Amino acid sequence: MSNAEATGTTHFISDDHLRSLTGDLLGAGTEVIAPVAVDVCASPSAIASSACLRPGVKPVDIEYRVLADATELDLSRGLPVLSLKQYFLPEYEALCGWREHGTEVEIEAVPTEFAPRVVLAAKPCDSAALAVVDKVMNWDYQDELWNGRREATTIVNLACPVIDESCFCTAVGTSPDDTKGADALLSPVEGGYLFEATTDKGRALVDAHAAYFTAEADSNGAEQRGRQAAEERAAARVRVAANLEIDAASVRDWIDTHFEDPLLAALGVRCNGCGACSSVCPTCHCFDIVDEEEGIGKGTRRRCWDTCQAPTFTLHASGHNPRDSQNPRYRQRINHKFSVYPLKFGEVLCTGCGRCTRVCHAGQDLVEILQAIDIAARRPEVAAT
Amino acid sequence: MSDAIDTSGAAANGFEPRITAFVCNWCTYTGADLAGTSRLHMASNVRIIRLPCTGRIDPLFIIKAFERGADGVIVSGCHPADCHYTTGNYHARRRFAVFHDIMEFIGVDPRRMTFSWVSASEGAKWRDVVNEAVTNVRALGPFDAYRALAPEDAGVATPAGPAAEVATPAATAKAEAS
Amino acid sequence: MNELRELARTLLTDGTVRVIIGWEAARRGARPVFVTDPADTDKLIFDTRCVHNLVTYLNPRRDNVAELGKIGLVVKGCDAKAVAGLLREAQLTRDDIVLIGVRCGGVLEEAELPEAVALSSENVAPRCYGCDNREPKLVDHLLGEAQPDPPRPIMTIDERVAALDARPLEERWAFWTEQFSKCVRCYACRQVCPLCVCERCVAEKSRPQWIESSAHPRGNMSWNITRALHLAGRCVDCGECERFCPVGIPLSLVNRKLQQIVAERYDYTVSDDPENPAPIGDYRLDDKQEFIK
Repeated sequence: MSNAEATGTTHFISDDHLRSLTGDLLGAGTEVIAPVAVDVCASPSAIASSACLRPGVKPVDIEYRVLADATELDLSRGLPVLSLKQYFLPEYEALCGWREHGTEVEIEAVPTEFAPRVVLAAKPCDSAALAVVDKVMNWDYQDELWNGRREATTIVNLACPVIDESCFCTAVGTSPDDTKGADALLSPVEGGYLFEATTDKGRALVDAHAAYFTAEADSNGAEQRGRQAAEERAAARVRVAANLEIDAASVRDWIDTHFEDPLLAALGVRCNGCGACSSVCPTCHCFDIVDEEEGIGKGTRRRCWDTCQAPTFTLHASGHNPRDSQNPRYRQRINHKFSVYPLKFGEVLCTGCGRCTRVCHAGQDLVEILQAIDIAARRPEVAAT
Repeated sequence: MSDAIDTSGAAANGFEPRITAFVCNWCTYTGADLAGTSRLHMASNVRIIRLPCTGRIDPLFIIKAFERGADGVIVSGCHPADCHYTTGNYHARRRFAVFHDIMEFIGVDPRRMTFSWVSASEGAKWRDVVNEAVTNVRALGPFDAYRALAPEDAGVATPAGPAAEVATPAATAKAEAS
Repeated sequence: MNELRELARTLLTDGTVRVIIGWEAARRGARPVFVTDPADTDKLIFDTRCVHNLVTYLNPRRDNVAELGKIGLVVKGCDAKAVAGLLREAQLTRDDIVLIGVRCGGVLEEAELPEAVALSSENVAPRCYGCDNREPKLVDHLLGEAQPDPPRPIMTIDERVAALDARPLEERWAFWTEQFSKCVRCYACRQVCPLCVCERCVAEKSRPQWIESSAHPRGNMSWNITRALHLAGRCVDCGECERFCPVGIPLSLVNRKLQQIVAERYDYTVSDDPENPAPIGDYRLDDKQEFIK
């Protein structure tokens, strides 16, 4: 169910007008982040990629990028390689600078307010992830950098047709047409999109560019478009639900009470601890903090992405490491995402985007893992066979 | 061998390269000392770091030097068969051959790296190695490219302001880097 | 494949090994499998999707694998070279492991397919071309039928390296800085490499911090150069580092260049004979030194 139904006004915007809107935003100096189709073969990487040498269709990667031009906007609804996370929690970011003057230390603060910017055509799983991580970012410490970027950003989702059998958003409390974490939803219809704003920021976007939107309430063909959108979105939900159905609450509770169960304890045997899953995951948010000196007496304190799958993640200064093998580390990943975080914040720390499964070249499959845990939790007699 | 230092190009843009030299204690360091006590004239751009043996030199030392703004490096030690620790320089020779070749493949100009065998009695040779290295690196210009790969300052975020604020290329580049 | 399954069953049943590490078919393609029950040996497969270098599971840091007991490991020729590397460096005792070699005709470059497909010049992994170890020697058992040579890929890795070498220095610097700026420092390359076995990697040393840990291009450049250098003369070209890289850095180019360097300078190619010493750590009195004044 889309939040839009509760808050009312639906608008129609044509393909051309959506691009013009993008152009206007860029012209006004607003940063626009959107999926961009990157021609892998145009870059020097082509020298290494067999796919670029083969005859026929060339590979294209989709990435969320800061648009330079409205024509770059990709509306094909493919899945961007990395999530939106990098735009709210960058791969590395300065927390402060320092400069020593004798025994005094001068701290150079970083700005925590950001210029308003817009994300267009976001994947609902990526936006929902932002709302999930908001909880921990405002728990015992208000993360000003994360919050500042969240406040500055208006996110417009684009309803998703479901990527493949590794998607499972409906199993973890979101959906291909959700607006959780976002401010509006675009649903493809004949000639353009329905635009449903779900927050004040979403409505402000419509108001600021009113010329491009026509209110559906007064429009011809609105009923038809509404039906088309609703049918497509419902079909997508059915498609993704077929990939995986679990009772997230049962899974959560089973993990909480079966810490030493062989099913959980042996999950990590294949895992190499490479952390690729954490880097592509929209909800993984752990970071390391390092002080990097530039010359004598001055430097920058930075935070950078970290992964609980790394062997030294829990290495103590004493030398003790409570998770010193891949089995406890991988168990931790499942435990944190599907039990600890839900118990603490009421949200599953996963939005079912499937990137971890697709990027794992050691064959870890989250659909398979969750299915097995769900069976153990709900149908222990089946699990026993 | 002439005592003259080649200062061609020095006055033109005022650039004086900073060169870090990693030298072994027993041969090159002593040879450099001899160059000093013999009052040989040589370029003053070189900062020497003394190590027990070239075999101790990890390629990471050179990488660190470039990261921190060295425009060139010199690595120098005992001649093969004369290593104070018998075989240290043989190991260094292989290690640095591979390092030199792969750095060239990555795109670092090999003329920024000078490798030499200078014995304790070769003060004059040390002078020549230094002068030649400085001349070469001066001609190549500063090596900012490696150091500049990291952001210099902490202010990487786009500053706050009204939506109409124009995104300059610098701000966008900074925001992209953040 | 039946030969493999039967042998695995025998080795497990008579207690020669406690676990067989091989490949199985899964939803998204082949993947490593750890078989402890003789009844599960039917899961074992070997086809063109079996690209994974299983020797990574012999890393002495992998307690969770070692605790399964004595291992019977299925290896292709390239994998066997990695075992030799571990033996050379005393990271493994030969008697502690049973090696099951498979005759190999090459593997796919993009192997995550629901069904195996035949190799062609368009889909074969470029690293397979010219393989000198398609029938591994360092094994206790050698299975499978003799396979034809892998097809020549559209562009071999040597050709790709040559294309880069042909470019001017500044273009190579621009190429590598662009590639390494993609790096997110997940260390997948290091984690999956069968020869990256250091208990404490230099990248994790913080006093002093030799390699900056932030994922800015400078830290990434230093990390990637160091990683490659530490594998000079040791890398077996299994291609796993490049395959695992989540951002697609062409590590095979820098690995291959290093192999060319040690081949040209020291007449050395990595083999699965552990008696053949690695070039770095070894020396000759007449080693080339044309670059030294």
